[in-house]
Amino acid sequence: MSASQQTPTRRTEFSPERMAKFHEYAEEYPNKRSALMMVLRLAEEEFGSITDEAMEITANLCNVAVSHVQGMVTFYTHFKRPFHGKHRFMVCATLMCALENNTDAALDQIKAKLGIKPGQRTHDGLFSCEKVECLADCDQPPVVQCDNEHFCSMKGPALDKYLDALLQSEGKSAAEYAAKAPVTMDTRVPTLPAHYNFAGETDTGARKSDDKDPYFKVGEGPLNTKVPGPLATPLTVPVADGVNGKGTVSNGRTGHDSAGGAFNGNSGNGSHGKNGAKHV
Amino acid sequence: MSDAAKPNPAGSGDVPPAKKADESAAQKAAGSPQPAPAGTPATAAPAPAPEPKPKVPFSPVLLKHINEPNSHTLAHYAARGGYETARGHVGVTPPGDLIKLIDDSGLRGRGGAGFPTGKKWSFLAKGTGKPIYLAVNGDESEPGTFKDRYILERDPHQLVEGVILTCYAIGSKHAFIYLRGEFILGFQRLEAAVQEAKAKGYVGKKIFGQEVDLTITVVRGAGAYICGEETGMLSSIEGGRGYPKIKPPFPAVSGLFGSPTIVNNVETISAVTHIVKNGVAWHKQWGTEKSPGFKIFCLSGAVKKPGVYEVPLGITMREMIDTYGGGMKDGRTLKAVIPGGLSAPVLTPEMVDKCTLDYESLAALGSMLGSGGITVLDQQVDMISAIYNTMRFYHHDSCGQCTPCREGTGWLEKVAHRFHHNEGHQGDVELLGDIAKNMRGRTICVLADAAAMPMQSYLQHFKQDFVAKVKETAFVEKQRTYRDEITPTAKTITATGAGPSALDVGSNGSKQR
Repeated sequence: MSASQQTPTRRTEFSPERMAKFHEYAEEYPNKRSALMMVLRLAEEEFGSITDEAMEITANLCNVAVSHVQGMVTFYTHFKRPFHGKHRFMVCATLMCALENNTDAALDQIKAKLGIKPGQRTHDGLFSCEKVECLADCDQPPVVQCDNEHFCSMKGPALDKYLDALLQSEGKSAAEYAAKAPVTMDTRVPTLPAHYNFAGETDTGARKSDDKDPYFKVGEGPLNTKVPGPLATPLTVPVADGVNGKGTVSNGRTGHDSAGGAFNGNSGNGSHGKNGAKHV
Repeated sequence: MSDAAKPNPAGSGDVPPAKKADESAAQKAAGSPQPAPAGTPATAAPAPAPEPKPKVPFSPVLLKHINEPNSHTLAHYAARGGYETARGHVGVTPPGDLIKLIDDSGLRGRGGAGFPTGKKWSFLAKGTGKPIYLAVNGDESEPGTFKDRYILERDPHQLVEGVILTCYAIGSKHAFIYLRGEFILGFQRLEAAVQEAKAKGYVGKKIFGQEVDLTITVVRGAGAYICGEETGMLSSIEGGRGYPKIKPPFPAVSGLFGSPTIVNNVETISAVTHIVKNGVAWHKQWGTEKSPGFKIFCLSGAVKKPGVYEVPLGITMREMIDTYGGGMKDGRTLKAVIPGGLSAPVLTPEMVDKCTLDYESLAALGSMLGSGGITVLDQQVDMISAIYNTMRFYHHDSCGQCTPCREGTGWLEKVAHRFHHNEGHQGDVELLGDIAKNMRGRTICVLADAAAMPMQSYLQHFKQDFVAKVKETAFVEKQRTYRDEITPTAKTITATGAGPSALDVGSNGSKQR
């Protein structure tokens, strides 16, 4: 977001011809934010997939936060992300294609040639395979998309021929992929670009669910975030009859309404909001 | 080609009398060299309409040229009288007359809801001082539907002309056409079509030499079912996640960028071109009283000839399956039909016999015409696997805004997954019904309903399939005993043997989330 924090090696623009396209969009759309879907496609073309750098440039161009762009990229499933292979196989797995095992037939053929199941990528990052939802050509199952191309009835000889041609163009063989184990694609939400980390942090990889959240360390970082202490009273402790003045039984879970209750709303909020990431 | 151009009185009256329609019908009957592919049986055609609905022969309108080479180019479109309708009307006919024409024609939205198009246009907020937008919905994300693909890839200029006419009628200077990200060729062809029209001066400043400006922007989505919902699509065009918005205010009052916006389907806008060209009576000669006109149906599943078929509304479902679809594949038996995209409640064979393809007939059967995606399921299909696949789809594509949908679709998938693996718990059948019931009508958009409706219909018509997959385990037995103790009246369901699943889908990808 703020330019001063950028390291000098980072790019801030696309190539000139894509920038020209961007300026066309900026003129045509009512505001720059609304051109985001199309600018993300430019970013995808430019970088091959939507990398951190691509997201950052897009955010700068469209005048939105990087987190907003990341929110878009993780919401829309058709954008190519860094964890996908260079050739990304998308096989439709929705009902119309799945009938008569058409989807599985296509997936089996891909597995036989490339050694990858849905959700996996070859060890060299060239090919990846995934199941996707409806690709809207339901009369000719199975439907497969790869490399910005759309194929109907993609099983049997047609798919084998295509796979062979792809392998040949990359100078690879099915035997190589059969010998080397594939990797599972890490589809988790990545961290923001490294320079968004607080001073002294070096975490640039995908965040693991059991990592401590680097954004909410007490007394560290520019925000100096204060984390409230643990609850004074567990939530399940029942409150005595008549405490709330109405003569009814309250078990303390009514929160803000029970003014004389055993816990107050603030500690509850603190516990759920700020530390939330730890529980993910 | 020539007979398409003849009935077009370029620039003349916008509400043709009945006589003109008869002429055009006569020309169609006489002049069309080949009959409709597997079309309706030809009767003595140009009768002067004394009976409620004389059977008029129909040949495809929107899909007429899709199999001709280069049908997507402007040269081909111009040779068959393209853009002459727009030239004749833009800046000449009062916009109000065009709205009235579409209202009179009874054209209903082809995207799924079937709302009358003319009525929608007339709801547009006037005098707000804000620009008016047209947003054309080409997201077509309903599984089983692939009709817009053919228009976009093979005849996009009729859509562009429809956009020009619609924008002129509603007073809009900027139209957005939102296509789903998966339409790779469709996007390229439509963008090329808009550029061609721009070069000819049909789009841009002072179109057709009149004091009318129009910008057409083609937006490509990126794979989100929810962007097919009109407000979700608007959110996406605005550059955000495709989150639907609460209605009211309806888009016609406050839509794109807070301005009045008309949202129509690709097929609806394409039909506008032909209705303005040929008139109200021409359109009304087909279809039923409340569902006039023609529609594209997408046939998939266990039929001999799946594909897109443009037919008059009101033909029977049997005719669609047996005549157009060529009957069941390999002599299989019909088990169920999904009549309007995956979210439409299923029809049993008995209901299929009673069903005609119009909005009212399907509503009376408790289902819907929806987007016209007909999927035929045969006896081989395991309905439990089918509903599990369906629920996985909705869970994947819930946008996550509303709790009943986000959690409900997940629960439905989870419980359906148990059935799919022959491990339904005691009480799960009731649980599915309960979740579905509590999802409906409690969310911003209708995705929750779209997930709950098929589940409820499967439970209604194929309950035995579910019951057969309930597995008695010690744990479940204990739960059941406990439940019987606290509610002694609760009936228990006897479990029967569970067969192997014929349709094993989604078993290895489902754990990814």
